[in-house]
Amino acid sequence: MKSPARRKTRQADPWGRRGFRNPAIWLTDHAMVARDSLAFVSGRLGTSVVVWLLVGIALALPGGLYLLQANLGGMMADWEGRPGLTVYFEPGLAAERPRAVRDSLADDERVAGLQLTSAEEALTEFQRFSGISDALAHLDRNPLPASLRVTLAEGLPVETLDDLAEILTGREGVDDVSIERTWMERVQAMTEAVRRLGMLLALLFSVGAVLVTATSVRLAIEARLDELRVMKLVGATQAYMRRPFLYFGLYYGLGGALVGSMLISALLLFLEPPLARLMGSYGESLSISGLTPFFFAQLLLLGAALGVGGALLAARQRLTDLDVLGN
Amino acid sequence: MGRIEFHQVTKRFDNGMEALKALSVSFDEGSMCFLTGHSGAGKSTFLKLLLRLAIPTRGQILINGVNIVQLAQRRLPYYRQGIGAVFQDHHLLAHRTVYENVALPLRVAGMRERDLARRVRAALSRVGLLEKERLYPRHLSTGEQQRVGIARAVVNRPRILIADEPTGNLDPALSQDIMRLFEQFNEVGTTVIVASHDLALIRSMGKRIIELHNGELRHDSLVASVADAAAGGGDT
Repeated sequence: MKSPARRKTRQADPWGRRGFRNPAIWLTDHAMVARDSLAFVSGRLGTSVVVWLLVGIALALPGGLYLLQANLGGMMADWEGRPGLTVYFEPGLAAERPRAVRDSLADDERVAGLQLTSAEEALTEFQRFSGISDALAHLDRNPLPASLRVTLAEGLPVETLDDLAEILTGREGVDDVSIERTWMERVQAMTEAVRRLGMLLALLFSVGAVLVTATSVRLAIEARLDELRVMKLVGATQAYMRRPFLYFGLYYGLGGALVGSMLISALLLFLEPPLARLMGSYGESLSISGLTPFFFAQLLLLGAALGVGGALLAARQRLTDLDVLGN
Repeated sequence: MGRIEFHQVTKRFDNGMEALKALSVSFDEGSMCFLTGHSGAGKSTFLKLLLRLAIPTRGQILINGVNIVQLAQRRLPYYRQGIGAVFQDHHLLAHRTVYENVALPLRVAGMRERDLARRVRAALSRVGLLEKERLYPRHLSTGEQQRVGIARAVVNRPRILIADEPTGNLDPALSQDIMRLFEQFNEVGTTVIVASHDLALIRSMGKRIIELHNGELRHDSLVASVADAAAGGGDT
């Protein structure tokens, strides 16, 4: 006799995944879970505030550095003293030669501006600022050379100046080429350092924010284990059991992002006056930019993503192997 | 679904203990049966395997011909939604009202609120607790809490209802009431399996009794009665 166990069992599976639920029921269920989760988070305000502060600090540091880097980059672009070089011609050289050099660079895409100062103009300027005009008047010939100031086009690396200098040094009548880049390189290096530090901190603190949220959500899961066991018993899906905890993560992340925004604003208010004084000493005004609604929206989005990510991590770990009836 | 078949089912735990040993037994759709045996006989393991809260080491468990041992994890919730389960310690949620406790399986299944309310009240009415729907479990007696557990188990209209020592904490009169409830659900076509060690009570119900001993089938009243009938028939 054929064993019953060997009977064909390939028949329609009555326990297959159901299709999409009625959207109205799905939304109602989400609204209910969102409300209950908010009540849970606000009901444990002490714990929630600690989580918000921790997540807020974790977001504020890389967020602040991002703003700093963006402002330094902007400052470099706006600075009147764009990177450039000055070509000094041989003293006593005929005026045509510097003009020829200037004209040869006029169509070069790497060059944003050209300013030719003739030997006579240089002398007049020197007389005006040096205060030794009487002495200079007794010289039989002009000791100052003509010069050509070449400004680098926006967005090009400082290294482009080396290429230009190499070309110009070989030109007839050119005595010397001086690249004014030291301060620019410093600012660029500083911007790059801030950018890398920001990225590193963003990574580390994001992991921190995820872990803080995951730990808090894990505690919330432990507090509701009895309910989760019953839910599993009556046929709740993983997604259904996870749902309230994802809302916890969302609230923790959004709250943290709000705290982070406040910390960044406070930090900028604190730093702006001394920075303005520093910039003022260089004849520049300071206007910190980037603290826009878009930036805040990005921060909220990041906070929410990190919170939900932490919650997913905790829920995945704890709910998958949830014991029911002590089995 | 309603027909249940265990074929050579063995369950060995990590510590090497065998809770069930090559057990083969079947239950017709719409039948009612009592599972009995001493503590550790394998009754609870049997029910856990049926709920797919545990997986057998060997053998097949067929529900209407489908082997649930091979059921994918993602399908388990939908399978469990079709089984009502009652336990000795109720597993009621203390911070939810009677109504909310009974509504839980329907919420999990995604039922519309209006239909849900109708079903919950019908289930509570069946167990005689409709007027206590707003109370919390702590306000109820042990017997009432057990009836809430039964209402939660049947609210989804499962084709299979299982109960593990549902009268363990109840006095004889309340136990009889609970058993009568199970009988009523069986009468409308639900397959009912009740694990209990209260032999006097289950004998009084006049239903099929399966006795387990150290994970093996010791006695099946259905098989015995068929054998008796066959023997009686042979005599005449």
